[in-house]
Amino acid sequence: MRKFFSTYWIMAFGFAVLNVFMYMSIKKFWIGGSSFLPMIGVMGDNNKFLFAFVVNLGVILGSFIGAKSFGEFKLRMPAGKDLWKAVLGGALIGVGVTLAPGTCTTSFVTGIPMLSVSSFLSAAGIFVGVFTVYNWMTN
Amino acid sequence: MLLIGLLFGIGFGFFVQRAGLCFSQGFASLIMGKGKRILTIWFIILIVTSIGFLLLGLKPIGQIRGAGFFNILSGIIFGAGIALSGGCVLGTLRQLGEGNLFYLIVWISFIPGMWLVVKVLDPMLLKNYNVQNILIPQLLSIPAGYVTGTICVIALFGLLIVNKKK
Repeated sequence: MRKFFSTYWIMAFGFAVLNVFMYMSIKKFWIGGSSFLPMIGVMGDNNKFLFAFVVNLGVILGSFIGAKSFGEFKLRMPAGKDLWKAVLGGALIGVGVTLAPGTCTTSFVTGIPMLSVSSFLSAAGIFVGVFTVYNWMTN
Repeated sequence: MLLIGLLFGIGFGFFVQRAGLCFSQGFASLIMGKGKRILTIWFIILIVTSIGFLLLGLKPIGQIRGAGFFNILSGIIFGAGIALSGGCVLGTLRQLGEGNLFYLIVWISFIPGMWLVVKVLDPMLLKNYNVQNILIPQLLSIPAGYVTGTICVIALFGLLIVNKKK
C-alpha cells in the first residue's frame, strides 16, 4: 500500500482524474492565481474567489494528511539568510497571479489542457522568468 | 459548496504531496538536465486532463490582457517569483502542509504583490487594455479535437522518450 501511494506517476494520474472529476461534477476547475484574492478582501462575483481559496486551503490540509500519514511531516523553521527570497519571491508571485488572471503554475494543469490561449502565453512567460532567475542564481 | 471545495482541495493536496509535485523545483531539475520526474508527471496530467476537458466541453481560463502582453509579462514576474522562493503555488501549499514554515512566509508575501496590482495598477490599466477570452481552436479556426489530439500525441511521445530505458 505504501509503495502504491509513493509511486509518483500513479499519484499524478490520481490528481489528473480528480481534476477532470471536479469539472464534471461541479463545473469548476482547479485554479490557482486569483484564488488568493480573498487574502486582500476581494471575493469575486458570487464568491468565486472565496470558493477557489477554500480549495487551496484544502490543498494545505490534504498535503498535511499525506505527509503525516506517511511519516513525512516535519516542522521546519526558515533560515534567516533566506527570508528575503521568501518575501521577494512571494510578492512577485502575488503580482504575477493578479496582473493577468490565469497566470499560475495551474496553467500547466488546467489552462493548457483547456486550450486557453491566455495559459499558453502565461506559460511561455513563466519559462522565461524561471530560466532567467535560475541562471542568475546559479552563476 | 464551500465544503465540497474543501474536500476537493484535500484530495488535490493529498495527490500533490504524494507525487511530490512542484513545478518550480521541476523547472530547476529540467535546467540541470534531470527532468524525468516532472516531465512524466506533467505529460500524464496533460494527457488525462486534456481528453477529459475536451469530452466535457472547453471553457477559457483567465483573460488575455493587452493582446497578450500582460499575460507574458505576468508570467515572467510569476516565474521569477517561483524561482526565487523555490516553490510554485502548488509547491508552496504542499510544502507548507509538510511543515516547512518558509513557505508560510512565501504565502503571506503574496499579499503585498496582489494588493499592489488590485488597488494600484488595475484601476489605471483596466481603462486602457482590452480583455479577451479565447481558446486555441477559435484562434486557429480548427476543431478542438485536432488540437487536443496533437497535444496528447506529443505528450505521449514525450512520455515514452523520457522513460526510455538506456
